[in-house]
Amino acid sequence: MSNADMATSEAKISPPSRSTTSNANVTKRLQTELMNLMMSSTPGISAFPNDENLMKWTATIDGPEDTPYAGLSFKLSFEFPTTYPLTPPTVLFKTPIYHPNIDFSGRICLDILKDKWSAIYNVQSVLLSLQSLLGEPNNASPLNGQAAELWDSDPAEYQRLVLARHRDDEETEL
Amino acid sequence: MDHQSLVFASVFPVPALSHTTPTPIATPELGFTAPGQSFGGPFGGASAGSQHREVKRNLAWSTATRFLSLPKLPHDEGHLSARVVHIHKGKDVVEALEYLLVGEGQGEEGKEESLVDWYTNEVRIHFVNYVHPALRSIWDNEIACQNAWEALEETQRILLQVQQLYLQPFNNHILPILEHESANTTSSTIRLDTTAEDQHIFASWKFQRDLHGLFAHALPPQRFSKTLSYVLYNGGCRLFRVYVDNGLGFVGGDALDDVPKLRNGILQLLRGLQDVGLGGEQAQKAFAHAMDKLMGSFIVSHYMKVDWFSRKSIINHLRQWVKDGFSPLVRQVMEVLADEPKSVQANDVQQWQDMAIGRLGRARVENLFDFIINWDKSLGAILDIKEYLKMPGAKVNLSNSFSQQVSRRLLHAGATTTFILNVYIYVIRAFNELEPNGVLLERAARPIRRYLKGREDTARIVISSLLTDVEDENAAKFGPTSEISHEIAAEMQKPIASFAQEQDDDLNWSDMNWQPHPMDASPDYRKSKVEDVIWFLLTLYDREDFINELKQILGDYLLRGHDPEYEKETRLLELIKLRLGDDKLQACEVMLRDVLESNRINASINGEKKPDESAMPLPITPSPHTPANNQAQPRTPAAAQARYPAPSTPVAALIKQPPAEHTLNAQILSSFFWPPLREDEFHVPAPIATLQREYEARFERVKGMRKLRWLPSLGRAKVELHLTDRTVDAEVQTWQASVIYAFQALPAENRNSKAEEGVARAVPQLVELLEMDEGLVRNALVFWVGMGVLQEVRPDVYAILETLPKPSAADITATDTAGNPTTSTAVVAAAAAAAAAELQPSGVVSTTEQLAQNKPLYRQFVMGMLTNQGNMPPVRVLMMLKMVVPGGFPYGVEEVRALLEELVEEGKVGGVGDVFGVRK
Repeated sequence: MSNADMATSEAKISPPSRSTTSNANVTKRLQTELMNLMMSSTPGISAFPNDENLMKWTATIDGPEDTPYAGLSFKLSFEFPTTYPLTPPTVLFKTPIYHPNIDFSGRICLDILKDKWSAIYNVQSVLLSLQSLLGEPNNASPLNGQAAELWDSDPAEYQRLVLARHRDDEETEL
Repeated sequence: MDHQSLVFASVFPVPALSHTTPTPIATPELGFTAPGQSFGGPFGGASAGSQHREVKRNLAWSTATRFLSLPKLPHDEGHLSARVVHIHKGKDVVEALEYLLVGEGQGEEGKEESLVDWYTNEVRIHFVNYVHPALRSIWDNEIACQNAWEALEETQRILLQVQQLYLQPFNNHILPILEHESANTTSSTIRLDTTAEDQHIFASWKFQRDLHGLFAHALPPQRFSKTLSYVLYNGGCRLFRVYVDNGLGFVGGDALDDVPKLRNGILQLLRGLQDVGLGGEQAQKAFAHAMDKLMGSFIVSHYMKVDWFSRKSIINHLRQWVKDGFSPLVRQVMEVLADEPKSVQANDVQQWQDMAIGRLGRARVENLFDFIINWDKSLGAILDIKEYLKMPGAKVNLSNSFSQQVSRRLLHAGATTTFILNVYIYVIRAFNELEPNGVLLERAARPIRRYLKGREDTARIVISSLLTDVEDENAAKFGPTSEISHEIAAEMQKPIASFAQEQDDDLNWSDMNWQPHPMDASPDYRKSKVEDVIWFLLTLYDREDFINELKQILGDYLLRGHDPEYEKETRLLELIKLRLGDDKLQACEVMLRDVLESNRINASINGEKKPDESAMPLPITPSPHTPANNQAQPRTPAAAQARYPAPSTPVAALIKQPPAEHTLNAQILSSFFWPPLREDEFHVPAPIATLQREYEARFERVKGMRKLRWLPSLGRAKVELHLTDRTVDAEVQTWQASVIYAFQALPAENRNSKAEEGVARAVPQLVELLEMDEGLVRNALVFWVGMGVLQEVRPDVYAILETLPKPSAADITATDTAGNPTTSTAVVAAAAAAAAAELQPSGVVSTTEQLAQNKPLYRQFVMGMLTNQGNMPPVRVLMMLKMVVPGGFPYGVEEVRALLEELVEEGKVGGVGDVFGVRK
C-alpha cells in the first residue's frame, strides 16, 4: 500500500466521528423543520421524510392557479447533505415536467439551490420558491431552450407540451 | 367307541355307550371261518389270535369302565361332596386295568380308544352334565361388585371338589399301574428313551391339563378376569385403607379390616384358584390390572392431599409405600400365581416408584394453577411436581397443561390486571422453585407476558404499585380490588440483587463458572441469575415506554404529595434507578429535585416576607350576609404553575400558599422534564392573585430574573367557610376554592340580597366570571353541594346554604352529632361529594387526553405522509408516526385507524380495504 493510499484511507476514517455529531444536528434541524411544516400547513405544498433518518424527503407541489401548471401536482425529492443547512439540499423533480428552468431529468436551475443558498432557507421556503418558479420562469438562463422560447411566443403550444409531459402518480386513486 | 359315537355321546348323553356290555358274555363270537376251512372248528387259524384279543379287550374294557365310571347322579351339592363309594375293586378289575393300561390291551395308536382317553371323556361328560349348571347359575349374569368375592369363592370351592372327585379314581387306580410299569421298565431294561419313564407323569399332567381346560372353558373368561381383578383391587383397597369414591359415597377406610386376615384371605383364594387351574397368566393379567388401578386409587386417596402447613413434599412417603406396602403384596401374590417362582427385582420396585410418582405428578399438574394461586402454602405440592419433572415427558406435559389452565382461568376479560400481575408473580416464584434455570418459567410465562402487554393499564398498575408503600397505613384503604398489586409493593421492599450482569455472559471468556444453556432452552433464553420479580415486570415493556409511564405517575404523585421531604418517592426512585439504570431516569430525578427545591424556595421567600407584610390586612371583603371566606391556611398548597418561557431551559413553577392568614407555597417545576401538565386557566381569588404577584416578584429577585408561569389548576387550597350556623373546613382543589370564593356577594349585590338567602350564581355566570372551563365549574359545584355548602335552587343555579334545614322527624334517627351533616339528604350529598372527589382530574395529562390535544398535529402528519409517500396501510402509518413525531407517538394501530377513519369521513382521505391514501 502506497503512502497516498494510506493518507486517503486515514482521511476516510476521520470524518465519521465528526459527522455523527453533525448528523445529530442535521436531524434535529430537520425535525424542527418538519414540525414547523406540519404546524403551518401551507396549502399547495407539503413534504414528508421517507424514513427514520430524515435525510431524504419527498415533497409535493400543486401547480399554481393561472399558470399552465394549474391543477397538476408534482413530486420532488429532497436529499439533505450532512452539512445541511450550511449547504443546500439536492432537489429534483420526480414527476416529469416541462419547464424552462428544469431539464428532462428533473434537475432544477434555481439560484437559491446553488450559490444563493443560505442557512435561513428551509424546506418550506424552497418549496414556495419552486412553486412560484412554475408561474414565473427565469427565461434568461434556461435549461430547456424550447420551453423558454414557447413561454413567450406560443402559450397554447406551451400548455399542450406541459400537459403532454406531465404524468400523474401511478398510485391508484382511493 | 369310534369318533362318531364320541361326538354323539358328548351332545346326547347315552349312558349305554360309555361302558358297554361286552359281547362275548351275550353271544360268544366265533369269528368267521376262512374259505376252505371247516366251520366252527376249534382251531381258527391265523385270525383266531386277533379275535381272541378283541374279545379279551372287550371284556376287560367292560370291567374297567364299569369300575371307573363316575356316579350318574343328578346335580346336587350333597352328592358332589360325598365321597363316591366304589364298587369293590376285585381282582378282575385290577387285571382288566393292567391289561388295558400296560398290557396287550393298550389301545393302538389312532385306532382304539385308550382307557385314559375314555376316562377323560367320562369326566368331561360328567362335568357338563352335573357341575356346569351350578357354575352357570353363578356366572351367567353380571356379577355385582359386592358379590364378586362370594362368586369367586363359591366357584373355587365347587371346582376344587369336583377336581378331587375326578382325580381320585385316576390317582388311585390308573396312575399306580402306570407308575409301576414305568418303574419296571426302567429297572429291567436299560432304555435311553425317557418317554417311558415319564409316561405316568405325562399322563397325569395331560389329564390335569384337560381338566383345567374344562374348568376354564366353563367360565366366561372376560367376566371371570374382571371379577378377579375387582376382587384383588377391592382387597388391595381394603388392605391399604383406600377411600374410593364409587359414586355412591366413600367406601372402605372406616370399616377397619383385620389386615393379616384379609391378606391371608386373598392369598388363600388365589391359591385355590391356582389349584383348579384358574391361576396362571390370566390371573396374572387380572392382577396386573388390579394393581394398576389400585396404585391410582391409592394415590388419589392418600396423596392428593397437599400438606398446606408443613409445606413438605410427600414423594418420600410415596416411595416408602411402594417399597414397603405395595411391592410385598405383589411379591406374595406373584408367588402364588406364578407357575415358576419369580422374585420381584429391585429395579421393579424402582419402576413402580417412578410410576407412582408419575401418576402423582400428573394429578398435581392438573391442579397446578390452584397451587400457583395459593403459592407459598402449596410449596409441598410444587416440590412434588419438581420430583415429577425428572420423569421423561413431564416437562412437556406440564407446560401444555399449565398453558391450558392459564388461558382458561386467567387470561380473559374477567380477570383484573392486578390479579393477573399477582398471579404472574406467584408463577415466577413457584417456577423458580420448580426449575431454577428458568426454562420452564420462560415457556409458561410467555402467554401471560404477551397478554399483560396487551392490557392498557399494566404499566400504570405496576408503577403505582411500585410507588405504594405496603407498610403505609394509607395502603390499607386500598381494597383487594384496587389497582395496586400488593405483591409488587411487597416485592419492592426486598433487598435488591445486583443488576451488574447486564453484559452478555456468553462473551465473558474468563468466566470459570460458565455453563451451557439447558438443552431445552429456547433461542432467546437468557439465564437470569437474579430471581427478581421486579426484573421480570420491568422487562415486560421497552424501557422507554416504561419510563414514560413512570414519569406520568411519579409526576402525579409528587404534585399530590403531602410529605414535605418526599422521603418515600426518593427512596423508590433510588430503587427503580438501580433496576433500570441511572441514565434513563434523569427526568424523574429532576422532577423530584424540583419539588424539594420548591420547599426551600418557599421557606426563603415566605421567611423574607414575614417582617414587612404579615401585619398587612388581607384584602378580603367579608359580606355581612355570606361569611364564606376563602381563607387559606398555613399548610395549604393552593397551587399555580409558572413557566419560564425561555426556550432553552424552561422552568415551571407550581405555587402553594401558606402564611398566618394567607400563605402561598409554590412548586417550581422544570417543564422540560415534566410530563405534560394540566393547563386550565381561570381567575384565582383576588387575594391569592395578589400573593402570586408578590411571590413572583420575590422569586425573580432570588432567582435572577427568571419568570414564573402559573398553572392555577394544579395544587390545593385549605378553605375555612364561616356560615351562619356552622364552619366548614376543607382542603380542596384550587378551582373548587375559586368557585366557592365567587359566591361571596359582590359589593353591588350586598344590599339587595336577603339575610336568609345566600347569593345565587348560575353556571354560565360563573364560567364568565372565572373564565373557567365549564366542566371544572360543574365539578366544583357538585363538590360543594356534596359538602352541604351549596344547593341547587333552580336548574343550573346554585346558592349558599347558610343554615342547614331542620332535620325532619324521619331523619332524626339518622342524625349524627352536631357539626356533621345531619340529614339523610346531606348524607346522600356527601356521597356525591366523595364521588366528585374521586373524579378529580389528575394533575398530569393522561395519554388519552394528550391524544385529543395533539390530534390536529397528528392529522397534519398523517396528511403529509399520505400526500408525499403515497397510499399506505395503518400499520405503516403508525410506524412512520412513531419515527417522525417529536416526543414519540405513544398509541397503537387502533388509534391510527380511528384517525384515518375520521379523515375519510371528512373526505380528505380515501380508504380501500386496509390501505388509505389522499383523495385529490
